[in-house]
Amino acid sequence: MRTPVRRRVGNTVMVTLAWLAVGVALFPLLDMALLVTRHALPALRWHVLTTVTQGLSGGVANAIAGSLLLVGLAAAMAIPVGVLGGTYVAERRGGAFVRGVRLAADVLAGVPSIAVGYFGYIALVQALGWGFSALAGSLALALLMLPYVVRTTDYAVSAVSDDLREASLALGADHTTTVRRVVLRAALPGILTGVMLGTGVAVGETAPLIYTASWSSFMPTAHLTHSPVAYLTYVVWTYIDQPFASAHALAYAAAFLLMVAVLALNVAARWAIRQRSSGGGGA
Amino acid sequence: MEYSAGEPRTSTTVGNVAEPNGRLSRQDRGGSVLGQVGGRAPAPNTAGAEVVLQAVDFHLHYPGMHALKGISLEVPASQITAVIGPSGCGKSTFLRSLNRMNDRIPGITTLGRVLFRGLDIYGPSVDPVALRRRIGMVFQRPVVFPMSIFENVAYGARIHRLDRTSAGMWARVERCLGDAGLWDEVKDRLRQPAGDLSGGQQQRLVIARALAVDPEVILLDEPTSAIDPVATGRIEDTLVRLAERFTIVIVTHNLQQAARVSQRTVFFLGGQLVEVGPTEEVFSRPRDQRTEAYLTGRFG
Repeated sequence: MRTPVRRRVGNTVMVTLAWLAVGVALFPLLDMALLVTRHALPALRWHVLTTVTQGLSGGVANAIAGSLLLVGLAAAMAIPVGVLGGTYVAERRGGAFVRGVRLAADVLAGVPSIAVGYFGYIALVQALGWGFSALAGSLALALLMLPYVVRTTDYAVSAVSDDLREASLALGADHTTTVRRVVLRAALPGILTGVMLGTGVAVGETAPLIYTASWSSFMPTAHLTHSPVAYLTYVVWTYIDQPFASAHALAYAAAFLLMVAVLALNVAARWAIRQRSSGGGGA
Repeated sequence: MEYSAGEPRTSTTVGNVAEPNGRLSRQDRGGSVLGQVGGRAPAPNTAGAEVVLQAVDFHLHYPGMHALKGISLEVPASQITAVIGPSGCGKSTFLRSLNRMNDRIPGITTLGRVLFRGLDIYGPSVDPVALRRRIGMVFQRPVVFPMSIFENVAYGARIHRLDRTSAGMWARVERCLGDAGLWDEVKDRLRQPAGDLSGGQQQRLVIARALAVDPEVILLDEPTSAIDPVATGRIEDTLVRLAERFTIVIVTHNLQQAARVSQRTVFFLGGQLVEVGPTEEVFSRPRDQRTEAYLTGRFG
């Protein structure tokens, strides 16, 4: 009866290693969240949320509004294209074109965001002459969101049971009607998950915006071109390097707001996944 | 997908001739039917009964497999025809050939004909989408749509725009749920997700959903194999009642079920139709010894 002892020792060692690995993975996250929260809470005053930046002090209202505008426009571009494209790819089932689109989406997901920013600067800001603007910035963000939305939609639609399609076709529904009224409904939680994760990525990006949206100390306007836009990640990136306490406070406040936004999107995504497993049987 | 129409090798025995104006074209989707079956008294056997579906020397090939080998069969109106046979004998493939569900499988080819009221459903003018509205199908596993009980039944009627008014739609949903024997159990919770129903209830909901598009024929592919015995009994009662108004073809593994509900029984083996006749005769005095061997449990 020697094996049980050996097994128990081996088991304890492995469990300990696993816990250590979890600790190593979680420590930087918790450390960062604590650091940001500790510095941000004293800095977060009402006027920070309601006034625009004045030099290196003031508030971040312009950056909040600018981030909402940029991410909103990017979502408005990336979500319809991504959901339609992902659905098409999933329903086509194979073929060279489908493989090409999937490869392109995976490659696009791997492109460094700074490269997307540089592309935006050359193609949109300069060649198309949009200048530093909300349009150029949001299009660059949309390019980064697109592969997330395409691939998660692809997975979600592909995962819908074929029984469901056959049940609809057997009632004399055509393919388009079946996809629109049954398949997409069954895939909706998965699609929502991808949409929210993609939006979370867009919220946290800095690099693609540096060359395309630039920065502005004013609230964004209705001019979508030739009008630079502020955004929260810029505040974090720039103000933390300045030798002033007021600048640091704003940087931490902006970082805290970004963290909360991304957390909210992730919680929403998880909630959507749970809806999939509990509601809507048959899928 | 291409279909080789082929030469009907037993054409002399075919009474019906395909109408030149295929009335299953897209223009006809919600319109008049080729003659309703409803209201006829159920005939005990084919003698004199109107033939609704007819396979004529029908072959089907999957890539690398000859799945159906020259099936010829007449399906009479307002009766239940049961198709029995061991696993892999082609009975489900045959059933799915009757409403062209097999079209979805890449690489299949067919030879011979399947006539629905005299019209070859594999003919060039036939739209399989329109065909499937007339020949409904219920599958082995109950598959409800991720929507409410009401919307499940209303689905087909909505996409075919069968009811102009919501009162009409309500009447249709109530009628179909009643026909499927489910109305009393769900009338107070029509807005709840259909996924909350039990398996047996879901399968009766699927039957109600199939009825809601006013089909003439209902094909059932082992509809009770995933259902408990009590729920199976309810579904069988439902089918017997429906057979007064609909033509029903049921594929089943359950020999007692075939004996209980059907007027005619068809025995498949190895992609061939071995025997067909009145259920009583097939079960008590099978003409083919392979049928007898299967019925007495010597294989299968």
